[in-house]
Amino acid sequence: MVNGTKSSWEPRILAFLCNWCSYAGADLAGTSRIQYPPNIRVIRVPCSGRINPLFILKALQNGIDGVLISGCHPGDCHYLTGNYVGRRKSVTMRRFLQYLGVEEGRVQFSWVSAAEGTKFSQVVEEVTQDIKKLGPAKQFVKLED
Amino acid sequence: MEQTHKAIQDSIREKAKELLSSKKVDVIVGFGEGTLPLRATPIFIRSQEEADRLIWNSYCENNLATYLYKLSQFKVGLVVKGCDARSVIALSREKRFKHDQLYLIGVPCQRMVDRRKVKKAVKGEILRVGEQGDEITVEGEDFKKVLKRDDFLYPSCQVCIHRTPAKADVLVGNPAEESPLVEVHPDVKDFEKMSPEERWRYFEKEAGRCIRCYACREACPMCYCTECFVDSSNPKWIDKGLSPSDVDFYHIVRAYHQSGRCSGCGACERACPMEIKLTYLTQKLNQDVKELFGFETGVDPDASPPLSTYDIEDRQEFIK
Amino acid sequence: MPFLQSLMDEYDLFAPAQLAEGVSVYKKIDQTEEVDLSISNAQKPAKEIFFPQSETMFRYEKAGKESRITSTEEIKRNRILLGARPCDIQAFSLIDHVFAGKEYTDTYYVNKRKATTIIGMGCDHPLSTCFCSSLNGGPFQREGSDLFLIDLGESYLVELLTEKGMAFQKNKFFEEANEKEISLAKGVEGKAAEKIKAAIPVEGIEKRLDQMMESPYWDRVQEKCLGCRVCTYLCPTCHCFDIMDEARTNKGRRVRNWDSCLSSLYSQETSGHNPRPTNRERTRQRLMHKFNYFPKNFDRIACVGCGRCTLYCPAHFDIRQTIKEIQEGGDK
Repeated sequence: MVNGTKSSWEPRILAFLCNWCSYAGADLAGTSRIQYPPNIRVIRVPCSGRINPLFILKALQNGIDGVLISGCHPGDCHYLTGNYVGRRKSVTMRRFLQYLGVEEGRVQFSWVSAAEGTKFSQVVEEVTQDIKKLGPAKQFVKLED
Repeated sequence: MEQTHKAIQDSIREKAKELLSSKKVDVIVGFGEGTLPLRATPIFIRSQEEADRLIWNSYCENNLATYLYKLSQFKVGLVVKGCDARSVIALSREKRFKHDQLYLIGVPCQRMVDRRKVKKAVKGEILRVGEQGDEITVEGEDFKKVLKRDDFLYPSCQVCIHRTPAKADVLVGNPAEESPLVEVHPDVKDFEKMSPEERWRYFEKEAGRCIRCYACREACPMCYCTECFVDSSNPKWIDKGLSPSDVDFYHIVRAYHQSGRCSGCGACERACPMEIKLTYLTQKLNQDVKELFGFETGVDPDASPPLSTYDIEDRQEFIK
Repeated sequence: MPFLQSLMDEYDLFAPAQLAEGVSVYKKIDQTEEVDLSISNAQKPAKEIFFPQSETMFRYEKAGKESRITSTEEIKRNRILLGARPCDIQAFSLIDHVFAGKEYTDTYYVNKRKATTIIGMGCDHPLSTCFCSSLNGGPFQREGSDLFLIDLGESYLVELLTEKGMAFQKNKFFEEANEKEISLAKGVEGKAAEKIKAAIPVEGIEKRLDQMMESPYWDRVQEKCLGCRVCTYLCPTCHCFDIMDEARTNKGRRVRNWDSCLSSLYSQETSGHNPRPTNRERTRQRLMHKFNYFPKNFDRIACVGCGRCTLYCPAHFDIRQTIKEIQEGGDK
């Protein structure tokens, strides 16, 4: 949803963070008082492999301007291999959306470990800037009939 | 062409009789004569006497593997073309039937004729069709036209590489010449030439005709879920109306669910009453799965499905 | 076309329009160039005009303690349905029994019906799959039309049939027809009637089906049916629907969408029990509804012989053949 004029528009970004690494990393950013843009809304999931690619579409349909999916580094998954499978799902959905003409940068992925509070804030900063440049998401939004 | 078809037809009938009399199968699923020109219809033969109803011609376009889910308690003799056999292999990988349950009667396919394209090439209703050599003659009330068969094939047939069914129990014809490998499916190639905005517009225009009948889903042998995501009410992914967002969602996800599973048979496009193009979506995913994970659809029945497995060295340059 | 533009100036115009080569629907026309009267019949039936595939029934919004409901029942502008074929128009009279019956009326349907003037069009080139004549119809049947068009090649002959039709008597685009034109129209009509050769035996089919409820015939009928629902979505007389709410936090709407008895979910009960568990029960139900239950309720067969189910079924079902088989008791 667009708030106000373009210049004052703030994107709404949904961040799916895996509980054991990325969410803990985000937590660390918080406790370390590292500033990062408030545009993200976090949904905690047990593992990045839990992410159903349909979540991305559902988010865009509901007017979310950008989606970030973040998990443990390869080899560090709490469930051993969840992030590997998640990686495959991520890459196929990302490519497909790109193929269809969905703007590149709307959906982004990262590996953030529990110790990487700074990295998390950097990732959020980058993603927010990217989405700000793209503008509000219009392609998928379910409009009132 | 008609001689090849007749020979195949006779072989199919003979084989069907043999299988039924020896009780190797309970039912033969093949094609029978349609009541309209340019059409054949799936038939289910259970006795030798009926076996002469089986035919083979340029209109045997259905993917008969889609009926397997209904026949799980029978031993089935299935007439398959190249694409249908790929679907059977994909189904076998997903353990959808027991090995001794299925007997594949493989037909090396001569490519099927696109009846819609033929209809559009003439003005008026087509009442009679004939085939001689590589020509098709169509006749209506006040017209008679001769068309080159090769100009009127289904797009999916034009790019089909493996027209000879793999892993068939018997081949009822001479193996068809393998077509040269295309690195990129032409539909995908054409689509990728467009800019992102053009592509989205094209996709929306095609999907915009959709009437949510789900004929594409039912015609597809790989869509066998007892509860499809569109019917799920908890979670409710999409609503049931014609809102463009919901329709786009359906098409994207149905194609996505075919990743590495779609045989490229084109049954979905043919079933669609609104003539929506679909292969440019499914073939892209097949291609990606091949490029990224080295997985080729419909070739190896023992290969693990690509999205339920992983490789430590999978690409991840897009991940921050 | 100036005539079409004049219609659009005064009414909401609904007519067949091509969405892609060979694919047409009846829709609200935004530009006169869209109208295509050359097609034999659109894929989607004209019933869409009165019974849209997806229809908002009302909208609601909550603001604090207040809630507001906006009705969508009112039709703001009168409408014209141009170019509907007699089969589709006959289907309206069948669906009227359901939506505009004596006991129950559906406001959404009735309001649209009342506000619409129907300009029917005769079929000078019926298809070999058409069998309207076997079902109390015909390629030039006027019943249900307010005005009726006959294509004379260079022009159309317009017959004004009802009070709504007579309102067009002084229309500046019409002129009085001469003897030659009227006899030319009769010729076109005569030729078309001859073209429908198929005489599909529907006499007594209701009684036949009374005895066939448990017939093994239904096992064979359902074999090749994919349950894909194309027939129900393109059928001019099918009228099943599903009502759902689409809600988003504090606002939403109630929507009615077409549904199909061929879906397993259609008859699924909350307990999990499904009285039509397999394709056999569902295909049987479809045929029974059209040729047995509807006649029992309303004395009419719920089929108008348009042939769409035969033309578009992916498995090449032929309803004419099915009717014949039923009349022969279902054995072959």
